Amino acid sequence: MTARGQTSRKMLNRLQRHGGAALWLAMILPLIGGGLLVWQAWTLAHVLGETIENHAAPQALMPSVLLILGLLIVRAGLGAIGEQAGLVGAEAIKQQLRQVLFAQRLARSPRDADAPASGLSASAIVDQVEALDGYFARYLPASIQAALLPLVFGAIILPLDWVAGVLFLVTAPLIPIFMALVGWGAQLATDQQAQALSHLSGRFADRLRGILTLKLFGRAEAETAGIVQASEALRVRTLRVLRIAFLSSAVLEFFAALGVAGVALYVGLTFIDYLQLRTTPLTLSTGMFLLLMAPEVYNPLRLLAAHYHDRATAKAALLEIETQLGDFPEAASPLADIEPRAGTPIGVELVGLTLRTPDRMRAVLQDLSLSVKPGQHVALLGPSGSGKSTFLERLAQLREAEGSVQLDDRAISDWPEAELRGRSFLLPQKPRLIHGSIADNIALARPGASRRDIQRAAEQALVAPFAAALPDGLDTIIGEDGLGLSGGQAQRVAVARLFLREAGLILLDEPTAHLDQALEAEVMGNILAFAQGRTLIVATHSLAVAASMDKAWRIAGGGLLDMPVRRKRGAA
Amino acid sequence: MRALLTFLPLYRRRLGALLLALLLSLVTIVSGVGLLGTSGWFITASALTTAGLAFNLFVPSAGVRAFSFVRILARYGERLIGHDATLRLLSDLRGWLFAALFPRLPLPDRSLRHGDLVSRLTADVDALDTAFLVAVGPLVSAVVVGAGMTAVMVWLLPGAALPYGLAMAAAALVVPTLMVVLGRNAGRRSVEANAELRAQVLDGVAGHADLTLLGVLGTAVRRFAGAGLVASGERLRLGGLATAGGFAVQVLAALALVGTLLAGLDAVAAGRLEGPVMAGLLLAVLASFEVTSTIVRSVSKATSAMAAAERLQALAALPPAVAEPTQPQVITPDASIGFDRVTFGYGSLPPVLDDFSLAIGAGERVAISGPSGAGKSTILRLLLRLAEPRQGQVTLGGTKVDQFATADLHAHMALLSQDSPVFIDTVRNNLLIGRDDASDEELWAALGKAQLEEHVASLPRGLDTLIGEAGRTLSAGQARRLCLARALVSAAPVLLLDEPTDALDRETELAFFETLAEATKGRTVVLVTHASLPEGTVDKIYTLRGGRLR
Repeated sequence: MTARGQTSRKMLNRLQRHGGAALWLAMILPLIGGGLLVWQAWTLAHVLGETIENHAAPQALMPSVLLILGLLIVRAGLGAIGEQAGLVGAEAIKQQLRQVLFAQRLARSPRDADAPASGLSASAIVDQVEALDGYFARYLPASIQAALLPLVFGAIILPLDWVAGVLFLVTAPLIPIFMALVGWGAQLATDQQAQALSHLSGRFADRLRGILTLKLFGRAEAETAGIVQASEALRVRTLRVLRIAFLSSAVLEFFAALGVAGVALYVGLTFIDYLQLRTTPLTLSTGMFLLLMAPEVYNPLRLLAAHYHDRATAKAALLEIETQLGDFPEAASPLADIEPRAGTPIGVELVGLTLRTPDRMRAVLQDLSLSVKPGQHVALLGPSGSGKSTFLERLAQLREAEGSVQLDDRAISDWPEAELRGRSFLLPQKPRLIHGSIADNIALARPGASRRDIQRAAEQALVAPFAAALPDGLDTIIGEDGLGLSGGQAQRVAVARLFLREAGLILLDEPTAHLDQALEAEVMGNILAFAQGRTLIVATHSLAVAASMDKAWRIAGGGLLDMPVRRKRGAA
Repeated sequence: MRALLTFLPLYRRRLGALLLALLLSLVTIVSGVGLLGTSGWFITASALTTAGLAFNLFVPSAGVRAFSFVRILARYGERLIGHDATLRLLSDLRGWLFAALFPRLPLPDRSLRHGDLVSRLTADVDALDTAFLVAVGPLVSAVVVGAGMTAVMVWLLPGAALPYGLAMAAAALVVPTLMVVLGRNAGRRSVEANAELRAQVLDGVAGHADLTLLGVLGTAVRRFAGAGLVASGERLRLGGLATAGGFAVQVLAALALVGTLLAGLDAVAAGRLEGPVMAGLLLAVLASFEVTSTIVRSVSKATSAMAAAERLQALAALPPAVAEPTQPQVITPDASIGFDRVTFGYGSLPPVLDDFSLAIGAGERVAISGPSGAGKSTILRLLLRLAEPRQGQVTLGGTKVDQFATADLHAHMALLSQDSPVFIDTVRNNLLIGRDDASDEELWAALGKAQLEEHVASLPRGLDTLIGEAGRTLSAGQARRLCLARALVSAAPVLLLDEPTDALDRETELAFFETLAEATKGRTVVLVTHASLPEGTVDKIYTLRGGRLR
């Protein structure tokens, strides 16, 4: 077994603990059911033996018949409870793992370039975790049954008849060995096969994803033929492997048939005195019991074979989770909300700041020094790609950079996370709206905000006018990433968040993107009024926005140029 | 169910093999029944015999051996033939899906880039593929074996025929029907809960920065936990239904067995039935439960196959994205491009292009710049007829684009879109998508123009190196340049480049723009970008703002 295989097995064992009592129930109840099965078979054999051999009256056997019915129903009930308990246990494990993975993903830096994209994360956290289901709910109980029940059955039968007992005790454990032997030769081929198969379904999904490109290049017919051809080629290769792989199921079938046929012949030949391996004579009841148990000895193995692929699926899923999200801890990292807190305006002092592109290839801003007094309103102008957003994200401690950044004469790295987040607000360049109502989206800025505050924020950001036209007003549900709103409307919803904060430092990245001039002026007016007595730094394309500030800089050639602003206001 | 039936023609092509697999699975079960029945009869008969060694051993022991070996061989054959047919079906279904999708692109609203749709389509195809083997087959087996055993009962033990027949009919027909009916709503709710869970992850990860800045990571985690519990609850409800179905089937089997036993006891006591036959029948009944054990699994597979069939049918029932002209015009290679007072918007959203006009002569190189979301890419989509204008017209050589066959239109213009993919394939095959008869020299020339020649030459197997998602041998910037090379390989006289230098650093970007004129010599170029262009890259630069050129 490979090292990776071992780690994934260890990880499955670790996860198993979160299944709790339900998972134990799922593993134990089928064993009890197995015990009852012996009783049931014994009673049935007894009824048959008494009727046929001893001509007992049907009435006398009624209690036994009712007992059989009772046992059958109780066993069905135990099986059902065990099955449902397995599902409960598996759900508990999946819920716990999802929480761990999601919290761990969020505990990383939002600007971590190596972190997987949202689609891959969702696939790992939702789909791959789901793929663990079968392992815990079905494979695990089946593997315990397969390990114990044949031996228990054999041990019960051994004192009744040593020949049948030995036959069961020897053949049942042999099956996995033979299956392994048969599988062994096919293993290498199967592995390659699995690779080719995943390659092909990968190719299918891949072509599907890029199908529009294929259409535009006029490849419709060629690709349709190509996908069928590739599928066919793989089919031929797969069958070559399956011919060997299916031998293992033939082995299982062979032993099961051998068990039944062997017992039947042995018992029959003993009855006609052809075989005399027993010291005591065999009754029909006992012989019938042996025959009834024969298929049951092999049934747990058959069940395990049916669920065997669940284990491979779970291992592959864990591997995929690890590949996408890295190692994960046992317990979810605690993530708590940070309350917005009121405070004085925050002064900003930068010395020797050098900002690079995310790939660290190139400096966008070099050796930058500037100071913004508490309560001052400043604008930062520059073409896209000039580093405005990176600059703001540095001030919000989303990115690291060379040079010193001081907020209120304290190095930014010395600010506790809770204080920095509680007292600052950054509207990022591409704010994300979450799936929920417009009000939910605004209230994200202060969970628990009163409806009146939300309403007021919506009015200040000019969300209210367009929301009023929507069927449910502010309670209208918007989709993933603001689906259903125009760019300008989504932008205003994000801006509304500002008005729920008591921030001493407000950083806005293109707050009026997608807005026409009239709206821009009105929204900016509200923002400026709100920002009285707070420090405000706005990155913008708009000269009109810059003109309403106390001070403006233009980024050019990796440095800052002072810009004259037309309208000075008497602030701080 | 009706949707599943529309796939019958596909199944019919593999009908022979599928029926053979079904037949073999029946033979497997019947031999199992025969094996246990014969064994039961044999040991009882031998226990009752007074003939001792004179007992006729040959028939039963031959029967036992024959049933054993038939069972082993039939099982092996069933699996092999069934899998062969299934894999053939998979090829058929994939071909069918591609053939159905191509004329319907672009799909309304949703983009195929959306990972969700792609994984759903793959899962749907898989669900349909195995529908016969794991859903239809076992249910048919249950009905056939149940009916056969009932017939045997009528002949040998009439008193048991009614209880056995009724119980088996209920298990094979009533329980599955009830499960499908009751499970429909639960299944839909479970799918919705899962979609909500996925949306929470997407929101959490894509909105990670916002959540961090607002200090509400705790809220995000709490909401995710809530959505997870809802999804878990729905799954448990669905699982509970399956568990209850399984329980019902087992109780019915128990009733069938006890009914047979009681009838048998009476018949033996009354001397109407011989003891060995009664033992044989009872064991045969026990063995026949092999068919009922898979009913529940089959039902859930059948349900998902039906849902998959419905979704795929809905996709195939979409009208083609654009209407083809009845008498397509011929596009001349030197056709000029014209936008005449075009207005366009997505859905009910305000227009992104408003009274937009632009003329581009053959061989001209123009750039359109503007802030993101201004509608730059929309201009290219309109040209390719991936979208239709609300007002105004888009023309090629003075003729409206809807007068040309879309295939001709696409052959006339090669697009490097923002989401152009690198396919999991060799470098060569990725390039040949541009033009499948291009020579190696032409491929290398295109790679050279896209500044990727050096890198590809350094790869261990050159043009035959496997790349794409699995290969990961290309950086984002290199992938972009490979897509550009693909567009350059094509013979299209017009190149549409949408942000070609996205994901390139500034130096590479500048190098790219400097060679653009040379690389696209003799072709018309429409370049959409927000990067600043060096002198001489293009003939004209337009800025798009507020839906018009400024």
